[in-house]
Amino acid sequence: MVDHPTASWDAMQDGKVFYRRQQVYNVSNKLPRLDDFIVAGCKYGGPLALMRDTSKMVVIARGTAPVLSRSQIQLYSPAGESLLILSWDQGKVIKFGWTSDERLVLLNEEGVYRVYDLQGDYQQYTLGGEATELGVIDAHIYDNGLVAMIGNLTLLEVKGWEGGKPLALANPGLHEPPSSWTIIPPDFTISRHVEVLLSVDSTIYVVDNLENIDQRISRGPFTHLAASPNGKSLALLSYTGLLWVVSTDFQRSLAEFNTKEVLGVGGPIRQVQWCANDAVIVSWDGLVLLVGPFGDTLQYFYSGSTIVVTELDGVRVIGPDVCDFIQKVPASTLSIFRPGSTSPSATLYDAWENFSKRSPKADESIRSIRPDLATAVDECIDAAGQEWEPKWQRRLLNAAKFGRSFLDLYNPSDFVSMGQALKVLNAVRAWDIGIPITYSQYNYTSSLHLVNRLTSRNLHLLALRISTYLSLKPDAVLKHWACVKIARSKPSTAGTGRDVELQGDDEVCRSIVEKFSRLGGGSVSYADIAKKAWEVGRLDLATKLLDHEQHASDQVPLLLNMKEDRLALIKAVDSGYTDLVYHVLLHLHKRLPLGNFFRLLEDGGERLAPATRLLQVYAREQNREMLRDFYYSDDRRVESATLLLEEAANMTDQNAKITAIKAAQKFFSEDKDRAFEAKMVDENARLLVLQQQLEKDAEGRINFFGLSVNETIRTCLINGMSKKADNAKDAFKVPDKRFWYIKLYALTSIRDFEGLDAFARSRRSPIGYEVFVRHLIERGHLKEAATFVPRCDSHKRVDLYVDCGDWRAAGKECKERGDKAKMEQLRKNCPNSLVARELDQLAAGMK
Amino acid sequence: MAAPPTASSSKDEQRIPHLSRLEQDEEPGPDVSVLKEIGRKALIDSLNSVNGAKTLVLDNSIAGPLGLVTDVSLLKYHGVDKMFWLESGPLTSTTTNVVYLCRPLIRNIKIPLRADQIKRHAKESQKHIYTLILIPRVSTLVNRILEEEGVLGEINISSYNLQFIPLAEDVVSLENDNAFKEIWVDGDETSIYDSAQALVTLQKLFGPFPRVLGKGNFALRLSQLLDKESALLPTSNDPSIAFDKFDSLIILDRRIDMITPLLTQLTYEGLVDELVGIKNSYVELPQSVLAPQTGPGAQPTAGLSTSTAPGSAAGLINRDKKKKHNLSASADPLFEELRDLNFSAVGKKLNKVAHRLDEDYKRRHQAETVAQLKDFVGKLGGLQNEHQSLGLHTRLSEMLVPLTRTTEFNRSLEIQQNLLASYDVANQITSIEDMIAQGADMQVIVRLLCLASITSGGIKTKILERIKRDFLQTYGYNLIPLLLSLAAPPLCILQPNPLHSPTPYEFAASKYPFASLRKSLRLLIDDIDNVDDLENDISYVYSGYAPISIRLVQCVAQKGGVLSNPALNRANIPTEGERADGAADTRNESVKVQAHPVVGWKGFEDVLASIPGETVDFVPKGLVPANMVNPGSIVRSTYPERVLFWWADPGILASSREQTKTTTIFFLGGCTYTEIAAIRWVAKQNRGRRFLIATTGIISGRSVVERIAGVSPGSGRDASI
Repeated sequence: MVDHPTASWDAMQDGKVFYRRQQVYNVSNKLPRLDDFIVAGCKYGGPLALMRDTSKMVVIARGTAPVLSRSQIQLYSPAGESLLILSWDQGKVIKFGWTSDERLVLLNEEGVYRVYDLQGDYQQYTLGGEATELGVIDAHIYDNGLVAMIGNLTLLEVKGWEGGKPLALANPGLHEPPSSWTIIPPDFTISRHVEVLLSVDSTIYVVDNLENIDQRISRGPFTHLAASPNGKSLALLSYTGLLWVVSTDFQRSLAEFNTKEVLGVGGPIRQVQWCANDAVIVSWDGLVLLVGPFGDTLQYFYSGSTIVVTELDGVRVIGPDVCDFIQKVPASTLSIFRPGSTSPSATLYDAWENFSKRSPKADESIRSIRPDLATAVDECIDAAGQEWEPKWQRRLLNAAKFGRSFLDLYNPSDFVSMGQALKVLNAVRAWDIGIPITYSQYNYTSSLHLVNRLTSRNLHLLALRISTYLSLKPDAVLKHWACVKIARSKPSTAGTGRDVELQGDDEVCRSIVEKFSRLGGGSVSYADIAKKAWEVGRLDLATKLLDHEQHASDQVPLLLNMKEDRLALIKAVDSGYTDLVYHVLLHLHKRLPLGNFFRLLEDGGERLAPATRLLQVYAREQNREMLRDFYYSDDRRVESATLLLEEAANMTDQNAKITAIKAAQKFFSEDKDRAFEAKMVDENARLLVLQQQLEKDAEGRINFFGLSVNETIRTCLINGMSKKADNAKDAFKVPDKRFWYIKLYALTSIRDFEGLDAFARSRRSPIGYEVFVRHLIERGHLKEAATFVPRCDSHKRVDLYVDCGDWRAAGKECKERGDKAKMEQLRKNCPNSLVARELDQLAAGMK
Repeated sequence: MAAPPTASSSKDEQRIPHLSRLEQDEEPGPDVSVLKEIGRKALIDSLNSVNGAKTLVLDNSIAGPLGLVTDVSLLKYHGVDKMFWLESGPLTSTTTNVVYLCRPLIRNIKIPLRADQIKRHAKESQKHIYTLILIPRVSTLVNRILEEEGVLGEINISSYNLQFIPLAEDVVSLENDNAFKEIWVDGDETSIYDSAQALVTLQKLFGPFPRVLGKGNFALRLSQLLDKESALLPTSNDPSIAFDKFDSLIILDRRIDMITPLLTQLTYEGLVDELVGIKNSYVELPQSVLAPQTGPGAQPTAGLSTSTAPGSAAGLINRDKKKKHNLSASADPLFEELRDLNFSAVGKKLNKVAHRLDEDYKRRHQAETVAQLKDFVGKLGGLQNEHQSLGLHTRLSEMLVPLTRTTEFNRSLEIQQNLLASYDVANQITSIEDMIAQGADMQVIVRLLCLASITSGGIKTKILERIKRDFLQTYGYNLIPLLLSLAAPPLCILQPNPLHSPTPYEFAASKYPFASLRKSLRLLIDDIDNVDDLENDISYVYSGYAPISIRLVQCVAQKGGVLSNPALNRANIPTEGERADGAADTRNESVKVQAHPVVGWKGFEDVLASIPGETVDFVPKGLVPANMVNPGSIVRSTYPERVLFWWADPGILASSREQTKTTTIFFLGGCTYTEIAAIRWVAKQNRGRRFLIATTGIISGRSVVERIAGVSPGSGRDASI
């Protein structure tokens, strides 16, 4: 018979609040003596990491050997099973802790940190030069990063575990190490950036990456600082033994408690931790003291020293014999099982018990809670989730099921998913799996997280079954499995020949592909698996696996590493992801001799044309030298010439510009289809030389260089160099028509109307005279415009005169032509009576 | 405690009602304003990832698009202390954080490097923290360059995934002005990839495209990328999301219809773009046009760049007192009525509105009781707004009219119309020569030359060389690369006739069958009596010429409209589609015809085949039932039975008839305002089908030519005499 749930309860605050201690595992004789070790416990029922506390070694073996640099870190599951032993051969370990995905981070005094998975594989990163130089004094490691304190007492932050660049936080300006410090992870601060709390003298400094704020507290210094899991409250323990709980903005004091008043304890306080967000745990050797929000306490005794791991809904205490979970009794459980509870859920549970005893009271009870039945059912389901014992889970679910049958409409999905969740939880809580995760933690971290944790423990079958059971994608599990399989399967056990090896590869590849297609791991990244194969030196297998990969962006980097250059480039081009193409191009450009690099592109033909074009785009901006070589080696004369022209356009030195343009001309002339361009570029060079000459003639007062032919002529005209303009016209065979326009515009712009008149008379205009009139009108020279009207076609003259504002002339014109209708029209449109009278007179003169 | 200015809840709450109002609107089409919210939120998230006050250094070309999703006050609210343009010269930053926001182009990255902004700071031991936010994603290239310059370790690089920005309720754009040049001149296909990503986002928001159609080589490329990416979309079974907004995606790459952008746009909005220039929905107008009598008054939201006047804004002094004005239909209902009208009809419309407004104002005399007066006063605000926008558009039209009276404008229009009709081509080319002699705007000449080349299959080699020579002498020899680019594959829009020997395959294939298309797609409407008649067909946007791109859209979405004028038919005899739709519709003429379901290019296969470029028509992988089609095979150029069978399934047809579906049209390489207007016209003809216009950017012939020439846009006549 399993104890009634209330058996583990302890009341607090006059019996209003209950805490319960549940024994999760019996670990007697499985763990070493905890006081000799530094311990880091992973959240969410994760493993413990233990490292020999070398400082204690020194105390015992004083004066003998120097401190061993080589040390071991042992990992234990919460059930006390040994998971892994890591040996550490680097400098002294400063700190170790766990990431959110259950990887162990070890940081040494040289600023090097490694992230180990549960298989013992690791990535190594460093905190950078400054940390190495000055040494790391201390650090705090949280789920998604770490904060390290280095030798000059400044702080470095690392975000994420991908080896991100360490970021210096604001300098707290310390002269000696703080008496204690802690951090609040970014997820729980207002600014969403990490905050560091340092206990300095009697006060607390709060440091983030911008500033350092002195909180002006006078109760310090503090020996222990602990932030609650939600980052809202802070527990501080001062030298005097006063435990003070305060909100993290130091605005509200939440509780105070003098630990010296606790009777029957000796020795120093080992840990100050939080039990969920509402109670603080203070532990001594043999005693764990739970301090509630109002200073009420509960005492839990252990037979030796303990380690306390804060969880988001409680706290795990690992003692010499047991692994316990202490938490506030959840509301639903309390509501059902609290002695004397008359809540609907308690009544429902009672009714179900009566029902199973075939007592008619059941019906009566159900009737009494009819309006609240739905909530009662929900509460029973929730309470089931809070129970550890399958028996009580089952009873509560049965009660819920019983209640549900009295409801007309009830969405059973909560019930079903709770059943599923409990099945999964009970499976992983088994001592041989050893993940004592609670329902709230499971909800918080998601089922996928749990599956990943199982996978990383090599529990592939269980992980796969759970995935299937919860209809999750099995991809991650399968991928891990395949990697492990590749790592474990030796290329060949029998025989050493290459054939055998190939066969072995085929076999492994086939079995992996088969398994994936059978279990529906459709979107597993073969590239990752292939990478694993490549890492363990199985190139053929890697190639084989890579063929199955769908995503080019995953395929390509590995292909590059495997030196499959051409294939990598083709895959990159096919992906259409230009950045990937650049990635390959830049990589190859660095690695290959230039000639080979070009040949690779040239031989690629149409298939690699997009890559070639991208290379040109890049090189045009960043590496023109290379581009020139490329065009030259590929006999691309037109492109070479264009490149030269572009460069010439940006040159300021006149002679260099002319040289560049002449060089371009040479390139064009080598291509027989580009005769026209060659001629044009040649003209351009000639023009520039002419312009240089012109500037010399003008003694540098006028800028000619770089103008177009038209502008050159125009500039000449404007500056009274009409002879030169004529020369230029001849030199560049400017057609008459264009020349006339240029001259018309130029002379008008400098108001040289005499010159214009002379020009107009010089010969018959190839562009007519109407344009003269129009242009002058446009520029506002009405009077001058009118002088050209007589040379225009006779039938347009009237309108042109009107446009010039010369109504009288227009009238006269009408009269001359005898156009009465037009006269009438003029009369109608005329602007004022003066003009009207004149027109009338003229009209009167007409027959 | 450090409390930097992050998003407080109150600000968020303010925005929520706005959102919910949008949701409440009974808008069955995809609500693209969501994209704006997404863009805004992503920007804020990127900014907030940098703690504390920051100096923002902004790429000039990104300011316009950003102005469409956010405004300065929001940036200030999220800790932006000062803003600078990304330009050379020393950077004086008072804040520790310096944030660069730009597209991952080499020249953008080089600016701060060239100016040694980072190194100098390091030397002067100023402790700055640099963050580089790249749009839309981080790039290997940038990393490489920073590495080469030795500053990679000093900069945090992150990305801001800015994709489609809604320009109107039915238009979304990537606002990438360079897309056309990058694809067809440089051969840089990045924007195709970006487009595929953005279309995937659209699918994530509004549901998958059950069918993808397209025309053009790069359209095929895009559709292949899209197919690959879409296959990875999560197949959502969540019924709470309305997940089937689209009935198809039509991808048109710009190369299949180069004629349209070369022509002068004749709708109101198009003409404003041609003559004044619209940039990211903002148009720069003289103060006198915007608000004549009083001061700035109640101008709608000013653009990002004007009101910021970033710190080192030496070059940003208000020239000619020009101000930016946001042309948007949501803020200005009158503009919604005007934007798509042929410019010749705008005057009439303005007149009508003025009369109506006048009458509305006169109501106050009729108001006798206090209640009536109160009622009137309530409307007054709306009336005044309308009054103001009426004034603006009247002044703007007045400003445009003289510009449309110039010889150059009318000459080029005349040449365009004649070329489209293939009337006396030789003479048109002479006219173009004359225009060069007169020193017309360079881009006008290039457009006309290209138009002549496309419509007549190339210009005689000798004549072309003579013209080119004139051109270069007039506008400068530095335009040789421009002429080469226009002639080179894959663009090939300025070609000699006959072509150079030996003719590469690509040249020959790219010959455009304009003459036959003119007939088969009914491009020219000959008998134009008056404008009202004209607006019975999409050709009204070019006063009698129908854009090929939109005819192709009609080939898919309004088959009847290609062959004959649907408006005329409605008055006379019902088309086949109508007959099938039941008698009820034909009895009542005012009832719009139900749009026919998308059945691909059916009926126009021959026309499509005659246009150079691949034809695309397939059902994306994820959506094909496994037993019906072998997934993964892209069906193109052919129309296998199985695909038709899949769509001929009566059940599917019936279901698609009932609800309104949205057809997305994606213009790879940009589209013009006239094309948008034409699509809106098509949308108005039927019920049961909406259009969502997606594009890499809004282009005009001017912008295309200027981009290829590398002339800074809008510099106008500077290049000529």
